[in-house]
Amino acid sequence: MTTEHDTHPSPAQYWKIAALLAVLTVFEVAMFYIDRELGLGGLNALILISLALLKFVIVVGWYMHLRFENAIPSRFFTAGAILAVGLYLVVLSAMGVVVIRG
Amino acid sequence: MSDVAHDTPVSHHDEHESTGIDNRKLGMWVFLSSEFMFFGALIATYLLYSNRGGFEGTYPSEIYDIPFTSVSSFVLLMSSLTRVLAHNALSKGDQNGTRTWLFATAALGAVFLGGQVFEFTEFVTKYDMTLSSNPAASAFYLLTGFHGTHVAIGVIMLLSLWGISRRRGGLSEKQGMSLELVGLYWHFVDIIWIVIFTVVYLLSVPPA
Repeated sequence: MTTEHDTHPSPAQYWKIAALLAVLTVFEVAMFYIDRELGLGGLNALILISLALLKFVIVVGWYMHLRFENAIPSRFFTAGAILAVGLYLVVLSAMGVVVIRG
Repeated sequence: MSDVAHDTPVSHHDEHESTGIDNRKLGMWVFLSSEFMFFGALIATYLLYSNRGGFEGTYPSEIYDIPFTSVSSFVLLMSSLTRVLAHNALSKGDQNGTRTWLFATAALGAVFLGGQVFEFTEFVTKYDMTLSSNPAASAFYLLTGFHGTHVAIGVIMLLSLWGISRRRGGLSEKQGMSLELVGLYWHFVDIIWIVIFTVVYLLSVPPA
């Protein structure tokens, strides 16, 4: 019988993941101040959104154990996220807040 | 005490349904999926009004305290670590460890909430930015307030499990599933804050 101990990360791995999340957060905050000095604009937004997405995926995959589950919860969760992001991107672009270039 | 499996690893995968996953767990995943719509609406509303000029009063983006919010974000992020450590301890039958990490998770959540109360108090008393100051302020308080409410509900659920564990000398297998469900909810609250911290705080643009 496969138990959780076999499939889920060990406490040491959980600590390493937490350290990675902390480093990514420090990097995010650093980007905020770098942008203030250098005015990176769109590049700063791209980097910050990428970092947030990476943190999001790490928490969902390892802490919520989604990468160890079967495909059904993964499909539900991903569908909800994509639907929400897609819908509100369309709304915001219609309102002129977000410009989507084709 | 009779329903507690002392010193025996707790497995949450015994009650498989036709989907191959416990129905309660699948229900929680579907619920969390629907929560994306809820928070998506609040974030979109904030983005719509955050830098739309022409209104009186202070805008949130003019007064954010990024170092303070960064520490709050770090605290909430680390509460996800303590939550998985509680789960891990329970799966090994370590009831004391489970209680310790559960309490640590609730405590970190409470610290985050304290930070939010402090931030709101500062904004209102120091900068006179209230819920009705302008649409940006309303959207900000609505979004972060609803997130804070979710955190508060999570803290109550974690403390309830901690209380049950203390009272009964440990968590049973059934309660172990409750810990897993509360954990999913707690991590979801964390990932929503990851998005809010980036989109609302770090990418904030003051009104033209």
